[in-house]
Amino acid sequence: MKEKLSREEVLHVAELARIAVTEEEIEKYQVELKKLLNDVEKINEVKGYDDEILIAPWSHNTDLREDKEGEMLDPKKVIENAPRHSGNYIQVPVVIGESEGA
Amino acid sequence: MKYLDKSIIEINKLLKEKKIKPIDLVEEAYENIESSDLNAYITLTKEEAYQKAKELEDKEVDSLLFGLPIAVKDNICTKGVLTTCASHMLDNFVPIYDATVVEKINNANMIIIGKTNMDEFAMGSSSRTSYFGAPHNPWDTNKISGGSSGGSASTIAARDVLFALGSDTGGSIRQPASYTGIVGMKPTYGRVSRYGLIAFASSLDQIGPMTKNVYENALLLNVISGHDDKDLTSANKEEDFTRLIGKDVKGMKIAIPNFFVSDIVDKEIIAKLKETVKVLEKLGATVDYVDMKYLDNAVTLYQIIAMGEASSNLARFDGIRYGHSKENPEDIKDVYFGTRAEGFGKEVKRRIMVGSYLLSGENAREYFYKALSIRDDMKQEFTNIFKDYDFVIGPTTTTTAYLLTDPMDDPSKSFMDDVLVIPVNMAGIPGLNMPIGFDKNHMPIGMQIIANSFEEAKIYQLASALEKELNLELNPNAGGDNND
Repeated sequence: MKEKLSREEVLHVAELARIAVTEEEIEKYQVELKKLLNDVEKINEVKGYDDEILIAPWSHNTDLREDKEGEMLDPKKVIENAPRHSGNYIQVPVVIGESEGA
Repeated sequence: MKYLDKSIIEINKLLKEKKIKPIDLVEEAYENIESSDLNAYITLTKEEAYQKAKELEDKEVDSLLFGLPIAVKDNICTKGVLTTCASHMLDNFVPIYDATVVEKINNANMIIIGKTNMDEFAMGSSSRTSYFGAPHNPWDTNKISGGSSGGSASTIAARDVLFALGSDTGGSIRQPASYTGIVGMKPTYGRVSRYGLIAFASSLDQIGPMTKNVYENALLLNVISGHDDKDLTSANKEEDFTRLIGKDVKGMKIAIPNFFVSDIVDKEIIAKLKETVKVLEKLGATVDYVDMKYLDNAVTLYQIIAMGEASSNLARFDGIRYGHSKENPEDIKDVYFGTRAEGFGKEVKRRIMVGSYLLSGENAREYFYKALSIRDDMKQEFTNIFKDYDFVIGPTTTTTAYLLTDPMDDPSKSFMDDVLVIPVNMAGIPGLNMPIGFDKNHMPIGMQIIANSFEEAKIYQLASALEKELNLELNPNAGGDNND
């Protein structure tokens, strides 16, 4: 089993995870992530189980709540928790560039 | 003063007779916390606690838990009180609602005195991944108190307060309870509402009580359990968890899986477990050693399922709606990528990256689906064993607490610390840690008692019988000869 991920593999998983990585971190992750991925490979050594899956260990009955209007969080307070906000809006940088706009 | 050293019955009597007030208990708790200096708390809620204590002065003392201080793990939302998950990502996050368990604690007239330290986003086994530095073990302050509920374990072990809440995704209540010599229960999945618990791995997470003894543990589970409209997975079952405490355990059948006493566990711990088995037999229980399949695969399953679920759950931390956000981002991508690079610590980033990879494209079938299949068989294995036995027991940890300065460079280490406690989360069944003695350095050794779903009361029955028989001195401040 190889000991390191390639630079490209690290950049790929960082992209999937939406995490920026520095050059120094890439080198560390090449080894550390490989170690964890080697660990999970052990799943392929397990034999004898059937195809049934268990997504959550939840077999008890539960009651769905009545479908009616209930308590709501105060929208003002929700907005105030956003790092950048203005009035009733959460602010984000431009998502569609002006040149690409309609 | 030292009212908190008295039994809960005595404290209750004093409160009822108005010989003391809740504010005396709050004051004592803060004195304890400030003098013990264990870094067990991220936030102390003094103002709120004193105010609540004042309010309670005019109320009738209507339960055993009335007016008693409680510590809450910092991944449980408290309205108007900083809730950080021990992460830079949330070090400015003030929730606008209470978790259901917090509502229940407030309704029971308990007093929250602070938010406890933990591994960042509950990811770790020593609480050393906390953005705020690790809590210390009161039995030896150079040692870890375990994780991820390390702060809750530490403050209970030190006798700062009587009650704390933890959360357990892969052993995070039971393992620190073992390292610090306290009682910690991971209830059945669905027993306690997860509404307001900041999600790590939703199919494994469960909130539970951490206390110095079995009876108080059962009392706290009475308060926090029950159905919640806000958590679809919460079970519609109510019961008194103290009801079997004090009852005979004669004839109860106990199984010890051979894996739990294999060479991965320190000899000293196995020896202590075997001494405890003799005590259980003296109490009239029978103990058999059994083979159980898949237990040795639990860490692998956990790595796949917990990291996969975490990568999905933690996608919400995007720098837009709450929490940390990168200053002056270049564009929207920089908001996401930059915020997450700055906000998350090393352990969390590693787990999100591996989890994202495991869920991407074909890998979902290759790893995640396979893990869920084996998980089903593991659950079946427990179901089968409980046809013949009342309990499964074993050591909670493979070693006792280690040094805070031990290396952290092996990314697999924190998973291996939880090798004996993870199967319980996989199967969704209840498990409790209780202290059974000490190692040669006088560090606590813990044993876990596992039972079938919704059999917490039976676990408390066995645990209290054993606790009474062992009669250990479990106060690290007690000094003098310890009853080893």
